[in-house]
Amino acid sequence: MKRVLLLIIALLLLPSCAGDETVQTQQPSFDPLTSSWEEVQSAARGSVVRFYMYGGFAHTNKWIDTYVTAEMLTRYGVSVVREPMDASVFVNKLLTEKQAGREEGSIDLLWVNGENFKKLKQNGALFGPYAERTPNFLRFMDSTLAGTDFGYPVEGFETPFGQAQFVYEYDKARTAPPQDFPGLLAWVKAHPGKFTYPQPPDFTGSAFVRQAFYATTGGHAQYLAGFDQALFDTNAPKLWSYLNALKPYLWQQGKAYPKSAGDLDTLFARGEVDLNMSYHPLHTQSKILEGTYPDTAQSFVFMDGSIFNFHFTAIPFNAPNVAGALVLANFLMSPEAQLSKLKPDNWGDFPAISLTSLDPADRDAFNKVDLGAATLPAHKLAEVAVPEIPAPYLEALEKGWEEHVLRGQ
Amino acid sequence: MSSEGSNHNLFRALVRLSPLGLPFLVLFVGGLGLAVAQSLGWLLPFEHQGALLDGYRAALKPHLLASFGFSMLVALVSAGLSVGLGAVVAFVLWKLPYRLQQLSVVYKVGLILPHIAVAFVILVLWTQSGFIASIGYHLGFVKTPADFPAVLFAGNGVGMVLAYVYKETPFVILLAFSVLQRMDPRLVQTARMFGASELSVFFRVILPRLRAVLHTAFIILYLYTFGAFDIPFLVGESAPSMLSIEVYNLYFKRDLVNRPTAMAMLVLMFLFSVFFIVLYTRIAKRMGQEERKL
Repeated sequence: MKRVLLLIIALLLLPSCAGDETVQTQQPSFDPLTSSWEEVQSAARGSVVRFYMYGGFAHTNKWIDTYVTAEMLTRYGVSVVREPMDASVFVNKLLTEKQAGREEGSIDLLWVNGENFKKLKQNGALFGPYAERTPNFLRFMDSTLAGTDFGYPVEGFETPFGQAQFVYEYDKARTAPPQDFPGLLAWVKAHPGKFTYPQPPDFTGSAFVRQAFYATTGGHAQYLAGFDQALFDTNAPKLWSYLNALKPYLWQQGKAYPKSAGDLDTLFARGEVDLNMSYHPLHTQSKILEGTYPDTAQSFVFMDGSIFNFHFTAIPFNAPNVAGALVLANFLMSPEAQLSKLKPDNWGDFPAISLTSLDPADRDAFNKVDLGAATLPAHKLAEVAVPEIPAPYLEALEKGWEEHVLRGQ
Repeated sequence: MSSEGSNHNLFRALVRLSPLGLPFLVLFVGGLGLAVAQSLGWLLPFEHQGALLDGYRAALKPHLLASFGFSMLVALVSAGLSVGLGAVVAFVLWKLPYRLQQLSVVYKVGLILPHIAVAFVILVLWTQSGFIASIGYHLGFVKTPADFPAVLFAGNGVGMVLAYVYKETPFVILLAFSVLQRMDPRLVQTARMFGASELSVFFRVILPRLRAVLHTAFIILYLYTFGAFDIPFLVGESAPSMLSIEVYNLYFKRDLVNRPTAMAMLVLMFLFSVFFIVLYTRIAKRMGQEERKL
């Protein structure tokens, strides 16, 4: 009897004991925000960094597990452990830990941007400001461009990792694509059932709606100053009427939308729709290499704008290994890592660093990377690049889309 | 004296049950408590601005009520079809010679497959670029596979019902068949001797004996379908969508301020489930009693 009770008490105490042990391993004397970079590097040596990141891209995972892990070990003696987790899940976890006052977490570095970053920063769940403590940020980054994330000020609480831009996809053998949003409306009327977009709040579908918002209401510049309810109320109806004009000609007459970008990829690969979209400029090429798309698939952009954004790494407020996280975040911004990341065989993610900050030889190496025939050259993408909208608009657009387009009419 | 003894026994029983009871208490009751608290705006990982019942007010908006109605409809049709079909198939199986009964284990495939796999099976078979559309095209019923009528995503939940019926019917067969195996076959033989048709044998001899197990199966299947996530996520419609999808979107994909609404919806779904069980068992009991009076 007593033994059983003791056992239960022991079991209940177990988690708290485990907590105590990890706290003891921390060195209280080291403050990463004031120590020199050499001190940070030596504090990181021999440690383990747990990098929590979205695990759905096989090539990204492989790049982290091979190149990054090996380089971090030989250069800095730091072991990198990749933990696959959806951003929404780790945001949840961190917010709960913040709420519960848990000072010792399990995450050292996060792959994050946009809404998720905003949630974390607003609730004080991030460590920082640390960006200006990392040498590569100071040397290679355009701090104005990387200073906001979906219009939300970064203030040094995350450091850029890569860049993405919205592209559309078509198959040369099947169709001739439209050139802009008015052209898209004419195109769907000529090809009923052959176009659709992922249902917001899916990331890609939501980005498509934002681009349509820019295109149907006179450009992006008016929105960048921050959320303006009156402006939104005047302009949004134009967007709803455009999207509702598309609706009867969409796949399944707009009665259902694919739930994710992956679902739309499948529809495109099987030929149920003739246009596809992606927030990754090299998506088409990697799908061709994978054998899912035919060689005649090609990416393109609309002339009335294509949204780009940065994705970042950030350190949680309760990261057990801040020094290691700083060293990894810094390494990811190095020209070597950024170049390796750009190569389509590795990952094919566009560099976050500004190429003008590099010396000519290094810049040349970036320009020489073969991105594949299906990928648009960087200057074509740059011509139409427009920034992301401030985050409050995003919520308003997603909500309004459900009300006026999904359930409207 | 004796009451003290029984108290002691109760305590002992509770201690012995604690390996099971504690996780139940912590996980289920704790989770439910947290859901209720968050639905009222307490214990959130951020500061809740707004009134206590804002979450519930938002959860009762017309489009979410439409989702509620749609979830009930899909659950009713799926569970009803599965129970009906399962009972008939169980009866047919029971009448088969022993050797054929042995072969009929194939029906258990649906039991083994996870829900998500069943949803994929339905996708592969029934989309407009799927297997059935291709067959229709090759047999010349339609000009292109895309002309095949939209079975999935047509806004009426047919895809989900197909998936649920495929997955749930074997479950009903399993339950009903085990009851039939304990039944005396001479009951049926006697009924036949008195000239009962196959139909009246089924309705007047077999069904009354299956009643209890079919009611249980219906409750389980109805409530599962009402709240489940995986099949709607793959083959569900966009609008009206199933409640589970709405809750998921509100909680994970939209702004944090929507969390009390998501939690309020979960609490309401839980209350509905409890209410449904009580109501259904009462009605079933009354129906059973009237039957006996006849």
